[in-house]
Amino acid sequence: MTDPSLIRNFSIIAHIDHGKSTLADRVLQLTHTIAERDMVEQVLDSMDIERERGITIKSQAVRVMYDARDGQTYQLNLIDTPGHVDFTYEVSRSLAACEGAVLVVDATQGVEAQTVANALMAMNAGLEIIPVINKIDLPAADIERVRHEIEEGLAIPADEAILVSGKTGEGVEELLEAIVQRIPLPSGAADQPLAALIFDSYFDAYRGVVALVRIIDGTLTTGQKIRFMATDVATQVEEVGVRRPANTPVDNLMVGEVGYLITGLKDPADVKVGDTVTLERGGVSEPLPGYREVKPMVYTGIFPLEGDQYTDLRDALDKLRLNDPALVYEPETSHALGFGFRVGFLGLLHMEVVKERLEREFSLDLLATAPSVEYHVFLTNGEMLSIHSPQDMPDPVSIEHIEEPYLKATILIPPDYVGAVMDLSIARRGVFDTMQYLSTTTVEMRWDIPLSELIMDYFDQLKSRTKGYASLDYEFSDYRFSQLVRLDILLSGKPVDALSFIVHRDKAYSMGNTLSIRLKEIIPRQLFEVPIQAAVGGRVLARTTVKARRKDVLAKCYGGDITRKRKLLEKQKAGKKRMKNIGSVEVPQEAFMAILKVDE
Amino acid sequence: MNVESMNAAQSEPYGALYLHIPFCASRCAYCDFTTEAVAPDDPRIDTYLDGLIREVRDVAREGLLSAVRSVYIGGGSPSFLGSRRLVQLVYTLALSIDLTGLEFTVEANPEQITDSLVRDLFALGVNRFSLGVQSFQDADLRALGRIHDAARARGAITAIRERCDNLSIDLICGIAGQTMASWLASLEAAETFDLPHISIYPLTVEEGTPFAHAAKQGRLVSLDEDTQALFMEQAAEHLRQQGYHRYEVASYAKPGSECRHNSAYWTGVSYLGLGRGAAGMRQSATGRERLMGGKVVETLTPAQAITEDLMLGMRMSEGIAREQLTRADIILPGAYEVFSELIDLGLVEADEKRYRPTARGWLLGNELYGRIWALAGVSGSRSQ
Repeated sequence: MTDPSLIRNFSIIAHIDHGKSTLADRVLQLTHTIAERDMVEQVLDSMDIERERGITIKSQAVRVMYDARDGQTYQLNLIDTPGHVDFTYEVSRSLAACEGAVLVVDATQGVEAQTVANALMAMNAGLEIIPVINKIDLPAADIERVRHEIEEGLAIPADEAILVSGKTGEGVEELLEAIVQRIPLPSGAADQPLAALIFDSYFDAYRGVVALVRIIDGTLTTGQKIRFMATDVATQVEEVGVRRPANTPVDNLMVGEVGYLITGLKDPADVKVGDTVTLERGGVSEPLPGYREVKPMVYTGIFPLEGDQYTDLRDALDKLRLNDPALVYEPETSHALGFGFRVGFLGLLHMEVVKERLEREFSLDLLATAPSVEYHVFLTNGEMLSIHSPQDMPDPVSIEHIEEPYLKATILIPPDYVGAVMDLSIARRGVFDTMQYLSTTTVEMRWDIPLSELIMDYFDQLKSRTKGYASLDYEFSDYRFSQLVRLDILLSGKPVDALSFIVHRDKAYSMGNTLSIRLKEIIPRQLFEVPIQAAVGGRVLARTTVKARRKDVLAKCYGGDITRKRKLLEKQKAGKKRMKNIGSVEVPQEAFMAILKVDE
Repeated sequence: MNVESMNAAQSEPYGALYLHIPFCASRCAYCDFTTEAVAPDDPRIDTYLDGLIREVRDVAREGLLSAVRSVYIGGGSPSFLGSRRLVQLVYTLALSIDLTGLEFTVEANPEQITDSLVRDLFALGVNRFSLGVQSFQDADLRALGRIHDAARARGAITAIRERCDNLSIDLICGIAGQTMASWLASLEAAETFDLPHISIYPLTVEEGTPFAHAAKQGRLVSLDEDTQALFMEQAAEHLRQQGYHRYEVASYAKPGSECRHNSAYWTGVSYLGLGRGAAGMRQSATGRERLMGGKVVETLTPAQAITEDLMLGMRMSEGIAREQLTRADIILPGAYEVFSELIDLGLVEADEKRYRPTARGWLLGNELYGRIWALAGVSGSRSQ
C-alpha cells in the first residue's frame, strides 16, 4: 500500500475561463501521465460540449505520480470539478474528497464571483488553499493587482501565490512542489471500517454505474460486500481501480486514496453523489456528513417538434439520466404542444447543455418552453402544492398564498457599475443585503433575489450593463411569500398553455404589454389576422394584432420558372414545419422563449 | 442534336417552341435569368446563334415541330442580337415550321427597337412583340437599373405598332420610391396606347441579384407587402375599367389577345426549349420530364404532373374544370378536401362547372399553390 504520507489529494478550482483545464493538462504532461503524442487540449473534459464551450460539467479524478525534489515519489490525486454555479453541490462533494485546493486566478481578470464562492467553499471544507496566479504570460497580466485582490478579498496571504502559465508551463513544477509541501496528507485510519465518499458517478454501457470514490477510512477491496448508505443498496465490489486517466484496475483502494468503483449496479439512482460506501456487515453506523438530495432549480417543458418523436425523446432522457442523475423529468401534456416532458435542471447552463445534447446526440428536433421554478402554492384547504409548470397553477380562488424560491446572489463588479447593478436588481425584485469593497477595483454586492427573476435573462443583462465586468454567484436561500399571478397569452382568442408564465402582480401589466409586442414581431403574418392578448384571470391587460398576410406571390411563372417555383413552395413548406401549429396559427419556436428576451 | 430522345417516340407532340437568347447589353439589377452582358460584336454571340440555328434544323427534320402552335424567342434580350442575326434565326424558323396561324412572339427591349428590325421580323412571320417597358417613370427605370427611359419606351411602342398591333408590355410595381400616384401615372401612360396585352409584376428581390445584395446591406428598401398588394389591386381595377381581362395572375388582355404561348405553360401543353437556358417539358403516359438546355433536370410522376397542372391551372382566371379535379382525386386522394379547404380560406371559389382563384387567392398565390402542390406529397405529409 502507498504510505498515506506520500498521498496528496487536491482539486483545482477557479472562476470560469481562468484556465483550470489547461493547467490540469500541464500537470498531466509534466508528470508523464499522458504521452506527448496523445495530448489534446482539455484532456479531462471529454464531452464535445465541454471542449467547445470551454467548461467542465462532469468531475474527473486522475492519479499522477510525481518525483519530487525531496527524492520521494508522490501519488497525487487531481480532482477536476465543474466550474459553474449550477453544479455547486457536486463541487462541494469533490472538495470533501480532498485535503487541499489549488485556487486559480486569471492574472488579467483578477478575483471574480466564483473565485470567491469556490474559495469560501474550500475554506469551509477545511482545505489548504494554494493560490495560483495563472496566465502570467499575457501582456495584460497585472500580478500586483491580483495579489492585492487575493489578500483583500479572500484573506489569503498573497505571498503564498504561485505564478504560473498554463500555456507555457512556467511555474507548474513549483506548483507541484507546493502541493507536496503544503497540502496535508490524508488523515483517515486504515484499521477502521470502510467509509468511502462518492463524489461523482457516470454510466458505462458495459460495466454499469461507475462511482468515483475517496477512501476516508478502511480499505475497499474487490469482492467485498458493500452497502450504499443513503440509498440503502447492498452489492458487491466487482472492480476497483484508478484513473491514469484510463481506468486501471487495482486489487484495492487504501485509506486516503482516490479511485473508481464498479459494482455491476445498472441504475444510477442507486449510486448518489455524496453518499457513503461502507461494508455490508460491520460497516460504519453514521454516514459521512454533507450528503443531500440534489433538487432541480429550474424546470422547462421539452416537446418534440414532431409528435412521433415522443418515445424517442423519452428514451433519450432515460439514457442521459444514466450519466446525469441530477436530471429529473415527468410527462407533461400541453394543449398547444402535445406530449412532452417537464424537465428539472440544476440551473440554466445545465438546461442548455441537456437540450443541446438531446438534439445533437439523439437527433431530436425539440421545442422548449420558457423556464420556470418550483412554486409552493398554499391552498385555502391547508394543502401545499409544489408547482413546476405555470399550467398546473390552480384556480386563484382556491389559493391562500404562494411562495417562491429566493437566492442569495453575490455580484462582483468594478465600483463604477454599482448603480447599474442596483437598477437591474431592484427591477428584478431584488432585496439589497450588503456591499463591501474587496479592493479599490472590486466591489462585492449581495442581494436576495427571486430565482424566477434570475433565470429571466438576468445574467446576460448584468453582463451587458457592466460591459462584461460583472461576475455572479448564487445559492438557494429560502421560500418567501410573493404576490404572484399567472399571465396567459391568447392567440386568436384562445389561451396557449405553453406560453403562460408566472409573474409578480405588479409586473403583470408591463410584462404582458412587452410580451405581446415581442410576439407580434416573432409571429409571421398569416392568412388571417391574429390577435395576441395578455391576460390575467380572464382580464385582458394588453393586446396587439398580427395583420393578415396581403401578398405572397411570385408573379412570373413561365416555362423555366415552374420547377424553381415549386422548389420554393417546398422550401416554404419546410420552413413552416419548423413552426408549431397552434389552432390555426403558425407559431415559430422562439415565441416560447420570447419571455426571456423581454428587454427592459 | 442535344435533346435526349429516349422518350421522344412515346412523348406527346410539342405544342409550343421556346428559343433562348442568353445575352444582354447590361444586366438589370433585379434580374436572375440565365443571361450575360456582352459586347454586341462578341464572337460568342455568332457561335451561339450558329448552334441554335442548327438545332432548329435538326428538330424540324425529326418532325418535332409539326404540332407547334406558338413560338417564343425570349432572353436575355433577343433584340440585342440586332436585325441581321435575329433575321437569320427567324428565317430558319420560317423555313422549318409552317408559321401560318401560329403565334410568334419576340421579346424586345425599348432601346433596341428600330423601324427596320420591326419591319424585317414582321415580314418573316413574327406577329407578336413583348416589350420590357417596366415603367413610364424615369425615376423607376433608373431604380431598376434599366438603360432606357420613358420617352424611348414610348417611341418603341409606336415603332412596333406601325406594323404589328399585337404587342404586350411589362410593368413592374413595388419599385423603391414608387408612389401610388406614379404607379397610376404609368398605368395611364400605357392606357393611351390601347395595347392588347399588359403584364403586371410585383418587384421580387431574387437571390444572387444586385438587388438582393443591396437589400442585405440595407441600401434597398423594398416596398412592404401591403403597399405592393394595394398597387396590384389598383392595377387590376384600373385595367378592368379599360376593358382588360385578367386571365392569369400577372397577365391582362383585351378579349382574344391572351398569349397562347404562355397559356401553354399553365395548361399542361408539352413545350420544346432550345438554347442554353431554355426549359422544355415533355410527357407521356408514364410521367413528365422537364429539360434544361437539352438535359432532363427533373422527372415528375403522373401524380405529380397532375398536381402541377392543378397548381398552374389555378394561376389562370378560368381555373380548372370540376372534371379535372374529379379525375385528379382518383390519383391524389384528398384533392377534394384541399379544394374545399381552399374555398373555406377564401382563396378559391367554385361554381357548377369550375374552380377559380379569388382575388385574395391571386395575391396569396404561394399559399394557394403551396397547398395544392403539397398534394403530390413531395415533402412528406400532406398539409392538413
